[in-house]
Amino acid sequence: MINLIGGVPLYVLEFGDELVYLTPYTITLFLLALTFTVLVLISRPEKQVDIAFGGDAYRTKEISVSEMRFRRFMAIACGLATMGAMVTGDIFNFTLFTAMVGITNVGIVAAVKSPHVQDAAYQYGLVSLSATIPLFGGAAVYAATTGSLSMIELMKGTLPAVPLIAKGMLMLGVIGEGMAPFYAAKAEMFRAPGAPYVIMCSLSSLLIFLRVVEVVMLG
Amino acid sequence: MIIRKISHFLCNYENIVPLFAGACALLFLAGILMQPLSYEQNQLYPKTIDRNSSLDPYDRGGPPFTMVAIHSQYPENSPSAGLVTTYLTPFSQFLADTTMHLGTTIVAHPGGIIDEILYNTRGLDTVVEPTILLIAFAIASYLYRKVG
Repeated sequence: MINLIGGVPLYVLEFGDELVYLTPYTITLFLLALTFTVLVLISRPEKQVDIAFGGDAYRTKEISVSEMRFRRFMAIACGLATMGAMVTGDIFNFTLFTAMVGITNVGIVAAVKSPHVQDAAYQYGLVSLSATIPLFGGAAVYAATTGSLSMIELMKGTLPAVPLIAKGMLMLGVIGEGMAPFYAAKAEMFRAPGAPYVIMCSLSSLLIFLRVVEVVMLG
Repeated sequence: MIIRKISHFLCNYENIVPLFAGACALLFLAGILMQPLSYEQNQLYPKTIDRNSSLDPYDRGGPPFTMVAIHSQYPENSPSAGLVTTYLTPFSQFLADTTMHLGTTIVAHPGGIIDEILYNTRGLDTVVEPTILLIAFAIASYLYRKVG
């Protein structure tokens, strides 16, 4: 059975046990992640301006170059992890990349000098950390019940069916990285100055979620 | 009205952690209720326990560079996979020769974690996992220098 969302793999890169495969769906997601990572790489970050309503007062937030460099590094790492998660053909690799996205998202706003953003990032970090339990647990149940971690093998339909609980755990693990209904902390992190770096937090979660929908349809 | 109340609850990020914990608890409870899950006997990465081995439970078996004791999903993609999984550093070899407990300390000495991942010779995992550690250390060291 070929999964309905992804379509037939157009290209399979034979990379040891961990195949990388490209379907029209994953190519689209990969290109989106790649485009945004290139944008992060070449764009100059914004400077936030606070304007006091009812008066002429405004002030620009000063952000040091070193802080911006670090956040760009984190945003690019996040982009690379997202790209990896988009094309990987291995359940365990997918969970690893998802965990990496969670850590880099915290890193993007880690040095922001705003207590509100720091509080939100801390709460997000806690959820993202605990989300790794269902995430890796889901991958473990995949391995235990099917005997393999390869998505290509799951796609063929020759392995035993994946139990619903494994799919649920994988899904909850990804949702914990900042999808609804656990998005509030991530939304507050957006108050941090420095687009497009902070946008990477949102885009990576969205792409990972779109990919996990395809992954749970396999097997 | 009920949606407004739910939204109001969800928009406070301090409620997210207990909410996620509740969701995890519910899911794990559902997991327990859905038992038994059938264990597939035909495992790609089987694990055997040999209580007499000083590397137990991480004994990969076989001398390095000559014998392959592991299985691969696609052996044709990596013909040399598994040839070095039994390699121990001189210090680890010393511990393995003198004690029976190296297997229990395998994650507690340098190279241990990476070693365990190499057990299944799943190449890219070996790269991604230390990358996660690198990112985590980069954040910690940056914050330490800036804030500490």
